[in-house]
Amino acid sequence: MSKGKILVIDDEDIVLMSCHRALTPEGYDVKTAKSGVEGLKMLENELFHVALIDVKMPDMDGMEVLKKIKERWPDVVVIIITGYSAIASAVSSIKLGAFDYIEKPFTPDGIMSVIKKAISQKV
Amino acid sequence: MEAKRFVYSLTGKLILTISALMVIGSIILGYLMYRNREAELIEHSVDSGISFTEQIKKSTRFGMVNYDVNLIQRTVEDIGSSKGVNKINIFDAKGKVAYSARKEEIGTVLSLDSYVCKPCHAGVSKPKTTQSWSISRDKEGYRVLNVIQPVHNEPVCYSAACHVHPKDQLVLGLVEADLSLAYLDKGIRKQGLVLIAYIASFFLIISIVLYIILWKFVHTPVNILSKGMKRVASGDLNYNVKIDTKDEMGELAEVFNAMTADLSKAKKELVEWGNTLEKKVGEKTEEIRKAHAQLIHSAKLASLGRMAAGVAHEINSPLTGIVTFGHLLLKKFPEGSEDREDIEVVIEQANRCSNIIKGLLSFARATTVDKGPVNINDVVKSSLNMVLRKADFFNITIEQNLDESLSPVEANASQLQQVFLNMILNAADAMEGKGTLTVYTRKVTENDRTFAEVEFTDTGHGISQENMAKLFEPFFTTKPVGKGTGLGLAVSHGIVQEHGGKIFVKSTVGEGSSFFVRLPLYER
Repeated sequence: MSKGKILVIDDEDIVLMSCHRALTPEGYDVKTAKSGVEGLKMLENELFHVALIDVKMPDMDGMEVLKKIKERWPDVVVIIITGYSAIASAVSSIKLGAFDYIEKPFTPDGIMSVIKKAISQKV
Repeated sequence: MEAKRFVYSLTGKLILTISALMVIGSIILGYLMYRNREAELIEHSVDSGISFTEQIKKSTRFGMVNYDVNLIQRTVEDIGSSKGVNKINIFDAKGKVAYSARKEEIGTVLSLDSYVCKPCHAGVSKPKTTQSWSISRDKEGYRVLNVIQPVHNEPVCYSAACHVHPKDQLVLGLVEADLSLAYLDKGIRKQGLVLIAYIASFFLIISIVLYIILWKFVHTPVNILSKGMKRVASGDLNYNVKIDTKDEMGELAEVFNAMTADLSKAKKELVEWGNTLEKKVGEKTEEIRKAHAQLIHSAKLASLGRMAAGVAHEINSPLTGIVTFGHLLLKKFPEGSEDREDIEVVIEQANRCSNIIKGLLSFARATTVDKGPVNINDVVKSSLNMVLRKADFFNITIEQNLDESLSPVEANASQLQQVFLNMILNAADAMEGKGTLTVYTRKVTENDRTFAEVEFTDTGHGISQENMAKLFEPFFTTKPVGKGTGLGLAVSHGIVQEHGGKIFVKSTVGEGSSFFVRLPLYER
């Protein structure tokens, strides 16, 4: 029984791989998408508890994806991954409905604690 | 050459002109005096000549009345032998020489045209009966006075026993005498020479006196002035001419000295003005050069910032991979094993990379933030409070000289705090944990704009001239590897610049550094 279903959306493979490798052993069901469009498609077909979304992506940026998810699946907990250690972008993402944000580069423990908080809030 | 110069000189001209006038005047005056004297002498001679012939008439009267021909002839001969008497002739009424000092002339008859008869008879129906005279020259060139004296009829003549003359005859004959005027000519010539000698001496004395006067009162002062002008012309404006006379030359010298003094003053002012101008031009040039350098520097930093942001973002993702997989690997090795330590180094260095990138990003992100009125003193105080408890500051004295009346600045408080913290931490590093950090806030005016200025002065090791230029460049650091990213001042610079302010440093190696942050005041 998985602890929760997590969707990671990032254009960088290494970030997707890192999240997958960090979270899977802890009992989470991790799926990845390489773009916002792909991620939204997956959300239409499957139910996810948490979505980890990179802010900066080529076709559709993280804020856009966040807005769309909040419109259609308000129950999905969104965590923003940001490369900018910017309070401003973090604040604006939270205003848009994100649960929290995490800065790159993150450690397995770091992402775990954020996910744990998110799931517990959900439950 | 000297003579020519003298002729052209003022003295020379005056002397020559006055001399010429004097010579001409002397000649005219001398000539007039000479002629006047000559006329006087001649008049006198004529008077003497006339009285001489009267004397002849009177001397021969007795002989005439008694008709003693021999007595008359002897008397005429005696008188005629006197010195200066050339000739004595006595004519009868028919123009025949009746008696003469020279016997051979007796009996000679003259016509009415002759020089003796002509004066009274020529062209005149009724002859004159008065005496006449004329002057001619003898063979030696001396003048000779010829006097003709008529002998008038008298009662004693026509009533004498001889009955020679009728009563109605008016003139009985003539006495003619030639008297030499050689003594007169000689005298006049001598007097002329004496006159010339007098005039020459007078002329010489006047010339000498004139020359001395002109030399003393004209030539010498003119020379002094001319010398002075040459000195002044050659640039010696402190030169004074010394002419103490009270005349026009003295006045001229005074005016000249006043002019030189004015010139000297004007020149001095001009030189000063020139120097000031040069200095000002120099200052302005330096200002422009600095502004230009600042501009280039800012442009460089801005492009560096953009590049850094791009690089930072790209690097963050691979770093995430390194850190995540490093941590995953870490769990596979037992605590204390060498492999685990190696992996820990990898993670540590990846984290260092991450810190560098954070700095880079905050450097790049010094743009687009919300600003508002901020009390700069409050930010300074909170920044100082943040560091006070750090061990690095235990041995550092912090002095605050804050201008509490300072108006708020337009800023983003957290960015401003980042800048001030940077300054404070840098100061602590420069002092190696020991010394005094003095913080000032004050109001300054630059180019008619008012700024709030914060000064951080430390007693640290100072900054060398070569480091000064690179101070605000990203990645420039003098701190040991791993301790500083070299981004602190670059970020501060970017933030202050974005706030429309400026940041600059004054430093003396070995004495310490002062960092100045200027920010524009908040305008509602």
